[in-house]
Formats: sequence, C-alpha cells, structure tokens
Amino acid sequence: MKKALIFGIDGVPYSLLSPYIKNDVMPNLKKILGQGFTLHQMNASIPDISSVSWTSFNTGVNPGEHGIYGFTDLKPNSYSLYFPNSEDVKAPTFWEILGKTNQKTSTLSHLYHQKITHPYRSIILNVPHTYPALPMNGVLVSGFVAIDLKKATFPDSTYNYLHSIHYLIDVEAEKAKENKTAFMKSLWECFEIRKKAISHFFAEEPWDLFFACITETDRLHHFFFDASNDKKNPYHESFLQFYEELDKFIKYLYEQFIERYSEKGFFMILSDHGFSQVKKEVYINKFLEEKGLLVLKKEGYFYERVENKTKAFDLDPCRIYIHGKEVYPRGTVNKEEKSYLLEEIKKVLRGLKGEDGDEVIDQIYEKEEIYHGPHTHLAPDLVCLPKDGYDLKGSLGKEEVFSTNIFKGMHTWHDAFCILPENIRFHKKPSVENLTEHILQYYSQ
Amino acid sequence: MDHLTRLENKSIYIIREAYYQFKDIAMLWSVGKDSTTLLWLCRKAFLGKIPFPIIHIDTGYKFPEMYQFRDARAKEWKLNLLIGRNEEKLKEGMGPGQGSKLDCCNELKTNALKMVIKQYHLKAILLGIRRDEHGIRAKERYFSPRDSQFKWDYENQPAELWDQYQSTVEEEEHFRIHPLLHFTEFDIWNYVKREGLPIVPLYFSKNGKRFRSIGCMTCCSPIDSDAKTIEEIVEEIRISKTSERSGRAQDKENIYTMQKLRALGYM
Repeated sequence: MKKALIFGIDGVPYSLLSPYIKNDVMPNLKKILGQGFTLHQMNASIPDISSVSWTSFNTGVNPGEHGIYGFTDLKPNSYSLYFPNSEDVKAPTFWEILGKTNQKTSTLSHLYHQKITHPYRSIILNVPHTYPALPMNGVLVSGFVAIDLKKATFPDSTYNYLHSIHYLIDVEAEKAKENKTAFMKSLWECFEIRKKAISHFFAEEPWDLFFACITETDRLHHFFFDASNDKKNPYHESFLQFYEELDKFIKYLYEQFIERYSEKGFFMILSDHGFSQVKKEVYINKFLEEKGLLVLKKEGYFYERVENKTKAFDLDPCRIYIHGKEVYPRGTVNKEEKSYLLEEIKKVLRGLKGEDGDEVIDQIYEKEEIYHGPHTHLAPDLVCLPKDGYDLKGSLGKEEVFSTNIFKGMHTWHDAFCILPENIRFHKKPSVENLTEHILQYYSQ
Repeated sequence: MDHLTRLENKSIYIIREAYYQFKDIAMLWSVGKDSTTLLWLCRKAFLGKIPFPIIHIDTGYKFPEMYQFRDARAKEWKLNLLIGRNEEKLKEGMGPGQGSKLDCCNELKTNALKMVIKQYHLKAILLGIRRDEHGIRAKERYFSPRDSQFKWDYENQPAELWDQYQSTVEEEEHFRIHPLLHFTEFDIWNYVKREGLPIVPLYFSKNGKRFRSIGCMTCCSPIDSDAKTIEEIVEEIRISKTSERSGRAQDKENIYTMQKLRALGYM
C-alpha cells in the first residue's frame, strides 16, 4: 500500500521558515523535522511565478517542455494577450502519470510509464495553474487563477460539496487596496474555508496521493511581508498567528497521516518561490522605451501598441522578447541583428542601477541556457532575475522606471524550500522540478 | 399556458416581490434588448406606470441610435430616468484609448453606478441579465446580495444567495435582482416579436452586418447577418452556433482573470 501526502505552501521562503522553526513559531514542524525529514533551500522555476513554478513541480519538467512561461503570453505571430491555463500545459502532471490517465507524454512520463504498475487515485486541491479542472483519476479543485467554481472542480460531486460549504476559490486581493485590516480578516476566512475543505477530502475520500496547497501565504506576503520580522509593525502579531495556525494544520494532517499509514507513507512539504521585501518596482518596458528599444502607439490593447520600430518588449515579470521579423506582424529584427541586439540589451540591463547606485539585475539568461525541450521556441529570448528588493514588472504605459506600490513583498527565485524524507539527498541545490521524480520513484518501488 | 407567458409571469412575480421587499429600488437600463424587455415587464407589472426610477449608465461612448431610442422611450413611457455619468473621469479623458479597457469599464460603468446608488440611497437594483448569457452568470440567483465592503458573508446569507464573482463589483451595500434570469437569448427575441416591442435599430442588418449585442461603440463589433426583421433574427438565433457576446471586446472570464492578476501586481 503506497500513500503520499504533499503539502504546498505558496510563496513561503526558506529564510523565513527556518528561523520560525528555530524560534518556536512553528514548534510542530520542528518536531516533524526531528522524525526523519530534512529542510532544504530550493530554487523556484525561472521566472519565479506561481503558475510556472507549480507547473514545473506538477509535471517535473522545465518550461521548455511544459510550455508555461507566465500568467500571460502572446498568441503566436500576434500581439494578442492570452492567459495560459491547464489546457496549455504540454506535459502530463504527476497525478495523470500515477492515475494512468495522461494523454500527453514527457521525458518524465516515459521513464515511469512502465514502472507504475497500476493506477493510483489522487486528490489535488487548490494547486495553482490547474484551471479548468481536467478529468483525472480522483478529485481536483483548481487553484489560482480559477474563476468559475464549476469549471474548477472534477468530478461534479466535488462542486456540490464545495458549494454547500460556501467554498472560496481565492481571497479578493482587490480589497487590500481599500482596507488592509478588512483584507487581513478575509485572508483568515479564506484560510479557514481552505482548511475545512482540505480536511473534508482528506478524511472522507479514498486516495493514494493527497496534494493540497495553501495560497493565502502568498497573499499575506504580497501585502504584509514587512510585518514578518518587525515587531513594531501593526500586523506583526497577525502575521505570526498565521504561521502558528499553519503549523497546527500541518501537525493535524501529519498526525492523521501517520496514524493511518504509519511510517510507510511518503510525506513532503514545499513552496513554489520565496519572498523578500520590496524596495522598488522596476518597469522594464519603460526602461526599454527610454533606451529607444521599445516604441508604443498611444492607443491599443496591451501589446497591440507595439510599433514597428520596436526592437524588444517585456512580459511579466522580466521576460524579454525580441521583436523579430516573421515572428511578429510588425517585427523588423532579422537573425543577424538579433544576436547583436541580445548583447546590447544585456549590456543596458546590467547598467540599470537603483537610487544608491546598486545593481538591479542579478542574472540574465538567454533561453537556450535555461530551457530545453520541444517548446523552447515559445520561450522569451532573455529572462532576468533581479537582486532582492527590486520587483521587475512588465506593465506598459508607466511614467517612470522606478516606483513604489501597495505591495510589501516580492517573489524570489533562490529562496523557496522543501521538506523531504532525509534519505533523499541532492548533490547541488534542488530546483522545484527536481522533486517530482521522487514522488514517482516512491510509487514505482 | 404557453412558454413565453410562463416566463413572463415568473418575471412579473419577481419584479412585484422585489418592489414589495424594497421600496428604495431602481432598474438598470442599458437600452439593449434584454433590459428593454425587463423595462417592458416592469411596465406590465405595474399596469403601465413604473413606481421606481430607471437608471441609465452613460459612458459617453454609446451609439447615437441608443441615445435617441432612450430619450424617445423615456418620454413615451413617462419614465423617471436617472442618468449616471462619471463626469470627473470623463473630463480627465478616460476612454477606451486610455489605459486598458478594463479600467475604462471600471470607471465609466462600475463606478458611475456606484455613485448613482449612493446618491439615491438605493437598496436594490433590478437587472436584465440572463443565465445563458455567459458561463460566469450560470450560477447567478434571482436575488443576490452585495455588501459595502464588497464582502461576501458566507456564514450569514439566505439559502438561495450564492455568488462570489460579482462581489468584486464595488457598489455600496445593495441587492441585485435578476427577473430575466430564466430567459434565453432565443426567448427574448420571441418575446420581443410577440409583444411588438420597440428595439434599437442597430440589431437589424444594414449592409450585411448587424449587432447581436450592444454597448459602447468602441468595444462592440457587428456580426455578418442579413436579418432585417425580428422574424429573421429569431430564425438566425435558432440556427446559430456562435456565442452571443462573441462580438464583445473582452470575454468576461478574461476580465476576471485580469482583475485577479492585477490585484496581485501583475500586468
């Protein structure tokens, strides 16, 4: 009998969790770590966006193979923006591989197709980028950005239950702008309903694998990360309470799991990216405009404003696309010019400095350096990672390169975490897509 | 009783019930075919004299035919017409060319409505939405509450009231009542035909094109159609496989997705 419990906590950084464990904000997690588990710092996907990172975990392959590079993308040979969803994921998820329902294949599914001898039933709750809910072997409730609860649930009976408890897909983050205290209250309400739903499926449904995500942590961090360690911050207490409550919930799930399946089960916890405080938001498109690399028309819907004089443009957070001839309707950059242009853009980006003359950009990658697989051609030509504190944005029509916003926290690539059985060891710092194989391995032993 | 009469009776019952429950009530009239049908039903419910105001949210970007139609009907049917305009934003030049279409809709529609509701202390609004209109509306209820903090109080609500998407709309606390929820697009046209209801001429074909759904000039495009009469429209809808709102600039689900992403600092 194989049983796995996977618990996802969106946007929880290693550098926050580690002291919270040491300082007894999370005493239960400390105890669990003492029972044969190791806490690792982990890299997120590039870019470090939830939809990309969770999809990398869900499929166990890199974006070059699963095809998801962000919450937004442009349709081929056009400037029209669309929102990739679960139907755009080009590799099978681990629950599809385990359930033997996968219609797609990947390098990972090829390895495990034979080794998984019979279908396993999974329960997948609130995992980002699983909307709309696709048919699978078990139960699935989509997470962010799910809109319609009916389309977010499989099978239909799941909808009926969630409807009956007045399930909330997500907190209304729009509220934070108007009233932070009311927003904090809604976060707690969402957290409560999430725990209720998770506990229900955990206890009432049969499963071989159970994977649930808490996404309220990411929202908490976006708006309150400055409260994480600042005792004077009015939200510090609430922030700590949130982690204390999380700790209790982890204990509850873990103890139930151990009680039922003793030590034989497979247990892991992970986040999809880290967080740090924001110093400034940095609008890369404005920077490209200032450097004469981007020219926008006054009117139009998002990227439809890109003029033919444009050499490059940015999609959130820092995915830079060369405005190539025959790649975009008004593109003019030919192949010879492209390699020169890539070097030129890298040079100007490295020269981007903050108020104190400090560097904004930490790493710049060309797509071939970090992505591999059949969908690498869909990738941005350049991807940048910032220094902590500089939140890179793809917004259009900003007046200045640097500004501040209501957000107190920003995603980080280098500071996600995972907690795994101690027999799993890594030669180098793991990345989120490296974890998936260990789940499949467990089921094929 | 025939199908259309059954639909009509149900709507009239809801309208009367709503007026009985809320005296501070008004009806939202976009001048399109659905809300004009609702207006007609309100007239029937109160024997020709509607006892509450009719709100038209004027974005300033409506078709001239719509303004003409609005003013002619208001006079003919002796409506207490309230016009809601976000003058401040219009003066600042807000329009579809400025910012995203979502911002434009938010300011010129949502916030304009919010202002009217506040100004007239309205407690309930009658709207002409239909369940078949869009996926997102499939779960709408006849009576749907909205609160002042846009809060959806899931622990304290009557059994039928359920809706979380629409609660992003930022009006003051009020109830939304949807007497046309059970009508389909096909029913509406059949009803328009049966009642001989006047409608905005934009719905009829001109040079091989007609509007299937109307709103602001800048965000609606006509469909290819030769339907020049109500009968021809009814026949066209009967055999049509494309969605009614396909001529609209933004799909509703995309709008919500964008709203959610923007609230977290994307886009």
